[in-house]
Amino acid sequence: MILEAQHIEKKFGDFRALDDVSVSVRQGTIFGLLGPNGAGKTTLIRLINRISRPDKGVILLDGRPMTDGDVQRIGYLPEERGLYKKMKVGEQAVYLAQLKGLSRREAEKRLIQWFEKFEIASWWNRPVEELSKGMQQKVQFIVTVLHEPSLLIFDEPFSGFDPVNATLLKNEILALRKKGATVIFSTHNMASVEELCDDIALINKSKVVLSGSVSHIRRSYSRNLFEVVTLAIDSPLSLSAEYRIQSHRTLEGEEIYRIALSEGCSANSLLSAIMPQRQIVSINELLPSMNDIFVETVKEGGAE
Amino acid sequence: MNKILLVIRREYMTRVRKTSFWLLTLLVPIMLAALYAIPIYLAMKPLEKSVVLVADESGIFGGLDRDDTLRSDSHFASSDDITYRYAATLDYAKRQMSNDKDITAILYVRSRASEAIPTDACLYYKSDLPPQQVRYDVDKQLQRILRNRLLQAHGISDDEYALISNTKINLRTEDLETGRAAFLEVKMGLGLILAMLIYIVIFMFGSQVMRGVVEEKSSRIIEVIVCSVKPFQLMMGKVIGIAMVGLTQFLLWVVLTGVALVGIQASNSELFQMATQKHEVTELATKGSEAALQMQQADQLADIPQLVEGITSIDFGVILPTFLFYFIFGYLLYATLFAAAGALSDNDTDSQLFSLPLTIPLLITILCMPAMINAPSGTLSVVLSMIPFTSPVAMMLRIPFGVPIPQLWWSMALLVIAFPLCTWLAAKLYRSSILRFNRLTFRRKKR
Repeated sequence: MILEAQHIEKKFGDFRALDDVSVSVRQGTIFGLLGPNGAGKTTLIRLINRISRPDKGVILLDGRPMTDGDVQRIGYLPEERGLYKKMKVGEQAVYLAQLKGLSRREAEKRLIQWFEKFEIASWWNRPVEELSKGMQQKVQFIVTVLHEPSLLIFDEPFSGFDPVNATLLKNEILALRKKGATVIFSTHNMASVEELCDDIALINKSKVVLSGSVSHIRRSYSRNLFEVVTLAIDSPLSLSAEYRIQSHRTLEGEEIYRIALSEGCSANSLLSAIMPQRQIVSINELLPSMNDIFVETVKEGGAE
Repeated sequence: MNKILLVIRREYMTRVRKTSFWLLTLLVPIMLAALYAIPIYLAMKPLEKSVVLVADESGIFGGLDRDDTLRSDSHFASSDDITYRYAATLDYAKRQMSNDKDITAILYVRSRASEAIPTDACLYYKSDLPPQQVRYDVDKQLQRILRNRLLQAHGISDDEYALISNTKINLRTEDLETGRAAFLEVKMGLGLILAMLIYIVIFMFGSQVMRGVVEEKSSRIIEVIVCSVKPFQLMMGKVIGIAMVGLTQFLLWVVLTGVALVGIQASNSELFQMATQKHEVTELATKGSEAALQMQQADQLADIPQLVEGITSIDFGVILPTFLFYFIFGYLLYATLFAAAGALSDNDTDSQLFSLPLTIPLLITILCMPAMINAPSGTLSVVLSMIPFTSPVAMMLRIPFGVPIPQLWWSMALLVIAFPLCTWLAAKLYRSSILRFNRLTFRRKKR
């Protein structure tokens, strides 16, 4: 575990923003922090960044309590992100990198590489206010990863990104994991969770209501629903009551069935029931999407 | 510590590179130099030639019918710029004026049977108001002629009159122990200037700190910064960086103003001499007699060393270091609080509101200035110069009058003690509110 938050509590006045929250993030994985608005994601992220302190509980980095010096190992892209509008792009990026402990020369060297990679090198000497929003986001991303932190935290990274930049960001996040970095990001975008995340924690109303690996969670929410594709023939498919056909359509000489299995039935038995009647092309279990799980879990807990 | 230096550097460099910084740095010396140069150029500007027709019914001011017996002192004396001509009647003068465009105005002195000496005179003009110096000269000559007439009537000679009017007794105020003169006017002027100066710099650079904090908040860069720099480091970096901008600007003002003034004097040395000469000539022309003139000159000569002595009597060896001390600590005290006010607000409008309580102690001191000038060592002055929030302005007002050393030490000590306390409070406020936006408070209320 690179990062562990244990029994964290944080109050703002009477309002309990985090209540006995524990999460653990495995080294070299992408960790999704999910939850509806106001659930406490940003509060937890700020605690990890040591911008504020928990009222109770500890945060461990590599198994020992975090210290102020550890923030150098973190790259943080906040949800509310901005830059000094009047300052020149390159100068500002160098300044922010220096604050993260890089030397001026090293910062400039790395920045030039990144700027060229993101095709914004010609903007080095322009004030930030002349940049488009997408370009500013690129600059912010570069500044976040420039000091090659082992732990990266992105708070709602995809909000406000256009699809081109969002894809760019997605690829960069995957590249970072490949290089051995650990990434935590909070998001509403469930499609990106399925695509990117190894593990997640779902926070609702200041508590962790669901956590674990994405595949494990989706399996545990399995509704025993299968999609079977067969070659089309005229006679109808007849199955016993244990196999309920939810939908059926024919597409280019293939029939696609969506079949719900009752308790105790397995895919194998379904196959043996179909096999005498049809030529099977494929069978897939239909796992619930993270979006479905999210909505279901949050509804159970009673959204605000 | 290295990070605080980075913050200071950024705050300093971004401000010093701004056009507005250099504009202000150049404009202030230019304004001061202009303030100095404009009166000189105005003095050098030739006056418009004016002609005044005098229609005097009383005959006291040199009516035409007695021209053979005219005395110079009962007669309007023409100068290079203003020519006086006489007309027998007002009607004649009016006709003259409508024919002759050079005539600026008609002076009409009405005579009434009931009074021996006229009390009423009128300067008639046509469409254009006569210039200020014409009205001034006419008035001065009217009073002079009338006075001479009365002196003559009472048998007082010019020399006797000059003696009477120029004999004065000087009242001085002196320190009983040192025997040094007080030169109160000079000290009052200096005290006021110093107090206003310190008020202006504290306020100006304090609000720059506040605006800087609001900028970081409203542009949302703050969260990026505070994850690598402690809020306290960021706040102090900003405060110190702007202090250095202030000192730089101040130094440039002093140097540039000095250069400008020396430059004006050097490039116009001829002009300056002429201006002095002209001044002397006009003095000569306006003062009636030789004796009176000498008395006046002697008086003026006596005046000049007194002023110089007044200025030299001021202990600049004390004033300059104390000014620097109160500037630096006064600014630091307020700047951290201004930073906290900025942190509390989301935008510039909010910050006006939050900084209001900070301006009150400064305003109170400014309002108390007249009372303090009257009694520089009175209770009010002493109390205000002890309270850290008012002491920079109050002490600067008092310092030219001489402040007992223990009081000065106490005031400085209190200010030095107040600074970390204020900073601690400001840092606490700053830390807790720097990441709080309206959005957040609104959301919490909804629950």
